Amino acid sequence: MANDRLRALEEVEKDIAMILQCAGNVLLELSKDKHNASFLDRQLAQFLSSVNRIESELSGQIRYLTQVATGQPHEGSTYSARKDCQMALNRAEYAKVKLGELGRTCEVMLDPPL
Amino acid sequence: MASQRVLPQSKETLLQNYNKRLKDDVRSIVDNFSEIIKTAKIEDETQVSRATQGEQDHYEMHVRAANIVRAGESLMKLVSDLKQFLILNDFPSVNDAIALQNQQLRSLQDECDKKLTSLRDEIAVDLYELEEEYYSSSYSLWDTTDLPLCEAYRRRDSWGSPGTGPGSAQGDGEELHGPPSQETKPQHHLNGHGTTSVEKP
Repeated sequence: MANDRLRALEEVEKDIAMILQCAGNVLLELSKDKHNASFLDRQLAQFLSSVNRIESELSGQIRYLTQVATGQPHEGSTYSARKDCQMALNRAEYAKVKLGELGRTCEVMLDPPL
Repeated sequence: MASQRVLPQSKETLLQNYNKRLKDDVRSIVDNFSEIIKTAKIEDETQVSRATQGEQDHYEMHVRAANIVRAGESLMKLVSDLKQFLILNDFPSVNDAIALQNQQLRSLQDECDKKLTSLRDEIAVDLYELEEEYYSSSYSLWDTTDLPLCEAYRRRDSWGSPGTGPGSAQGDGEELHGPPSQETKPQHHLNGHGTTSVEKP
């Protein structure tokens, strides 16, 4: 489904932000007098894994698009089904209106206004 | 049929461009980051004074950090372009989305029509009785050319009975209800649509 691919691309966007954040954290930690080695290792590992993930995901998407894309615009539409459905809803609405009138007529006949 | 797809030149160029941008941006981020880390290493021996070297390192780190941010922004733009390309050109998923939407709309339409049909079946009997009651009461103001549904059905049933022939149309015409003073032979229609009058010979 298209939604899965678009969701994957949104995850890639989050990963790009994560890359920049990790790089900034590493440099901030290095600027201190005393470095926390484990924190540095963690951030660096996260940075590298995010970079690899981004590259593999985007390469995969571009490869898929190379296989699937044509030069033509898509000419499908849901117009006919939508129109038919709209007509069916109009029929139901019309029947409701007419039944309402019938009901009011019957009520007037049964209980004539004084 | 060719086993290899031949894309139009523009699309192929576009996808190659996307690949190039991806490779360049990722390489830029990784290279600039590793260079900043290398530059952060303090060296004892420098060719210029420590202040100058420090100033140079500071400027270099500034530029490399800006490069990292620029590459990150460029990657975000690439992702946005890929999303747009996907929406416009990923035909399998567009077809699936259209098919799903059509199926949902058609099922809604079928459900609506089914309910209307069952409603019609339920109230048909009541409507028939209501009509009979109405047209036989003094409230109705119909003329002889405007038969109620129940009367039309009754007439049709009597025409359909055996023993009626082509000549019976005239005889049936004589049995038409109406004021006695009426001399013309009216041709009856359901509920008064398109009435015409035919004079009896």
